[in-house]
Amino acid sequence: MEIIVIVGVALMLLVVVVVQSFQLKALRQFKIESVGKPKPVQVSGPTADELEAKLKVAYEAKIGEATQTFGTDLQATSKRLTEQVSRLTTTVIEEELEAYQKTLEEVRKVATQAIDQIHQAVEHQRVELRQGMEAELASEKKQLVDKFDAKMGDVVASYISESLGSGVDLGAQMQFILTSLEAHKDEIRKDLLNGV
Amino acid sequence: MAFELPGAVYSPQLLESVTYDIQQYLDWYRQNQIRAKVGAKPKAEPNHSDETVLVIEAWLDGKRPTIESLEGLVKHLKELKLPEIHVMLAALPNLSQRASLVDWLRANTKPQILVSFIADRNLGGGIVVRTPNHVFDYTWKQELIAGRDKLAGILKRV
Repeated sequence: MEIIVIVGVALMLLVVVVVQSFQLKALRQFKIESVGKPKPVQVSGPTADELEAKLKVAYEAKIGEATQTFGTDLQATSKRLTEQVSRLTTTVIEEELEAYQKTLEEVRKVATQAIDQIHQAVEHQRVELRQGMEAELASEKKQLVDKFDAKMGDVVASYISESLGSGVDLGAQMQFILTSLEAHKDEIRKDLLNGV
Repeated sequence: MAFELPGAVYSPQLLESVTYDIQQYLDWYRQNQIRAKVGAKPKAEPNHSDETVLVIEAWLDGKRPTIESLEGLVKHLKELKLPEIHVMLAALPNLSQRASLVDWLRANTKPQILVSFIADRNLGGGIVVRTPNHVFDYTWKQELIAGRDKLAGILKRV
């Protein structure tokens, strides 16, 4: 808005200069034409020259003054205009930079959120996978242990049977048998006394 | 004095066998009495086991045997309600081993208990005592199964 005002002022000053130029030109033309025409007022030559000289001096003085004023105004205007442009440019750049930084910050925030979400999803998936694998391993281990336990009796019986063959010497075991009975005498007696 | 089964009659099978022997003898005696009345040739006296003799002697306790007393013995034996246990070993024990086990069981549990023996080679060694309510397993097989954790530990170390 200020730029428009300044430009407007400059244009007005330019128009003033142009108008004064035209007036000066018309005045010269009138002077030239006045020389050939009959003069209603008889002015002596020296007086006319004097008047013309005075007029010329006055006119040139005015022109010089106007030119000086215009130059001064133009310089001031130019300075102000430069300052304004500089200020505007700085403001625009700052605003743009601010907007850019804001956008960059938002993008960074969104990217960070996305990364966090991805990280959480990956972590969740990792935990689920780990839990699933652990459960599967535990189940498999339990199945193996159960199978081993279930077959343990058969394995031991087969091993004993095949290892000893038919040569079981009960006589050699009698001491072990009687010792075992002696060690559990109380529970056997208690069971028989209570149960029969 | 209360009648007690001799130690030699330690199992339900032996008790049944003794009862059967005495019943056979009573039947033979009655039949021979009838045969004598009708003039028929008498039958030979049936065989009986040593355990039967021991039971009859314990029952009579030095008194003279009569048909009535033997009938009373059969009735008494049939009505006996003695506790029974089953003993399982890796092989069937011989007489001496049976006597040792029965003596120990009767001395440490109940004096009139009946014991039957079963063999299972898969046990390897030791003894299983099965009462009406419980099974007491002191066999090598059971020891090995109970020590499965040790086996697992050994397998891990190997």
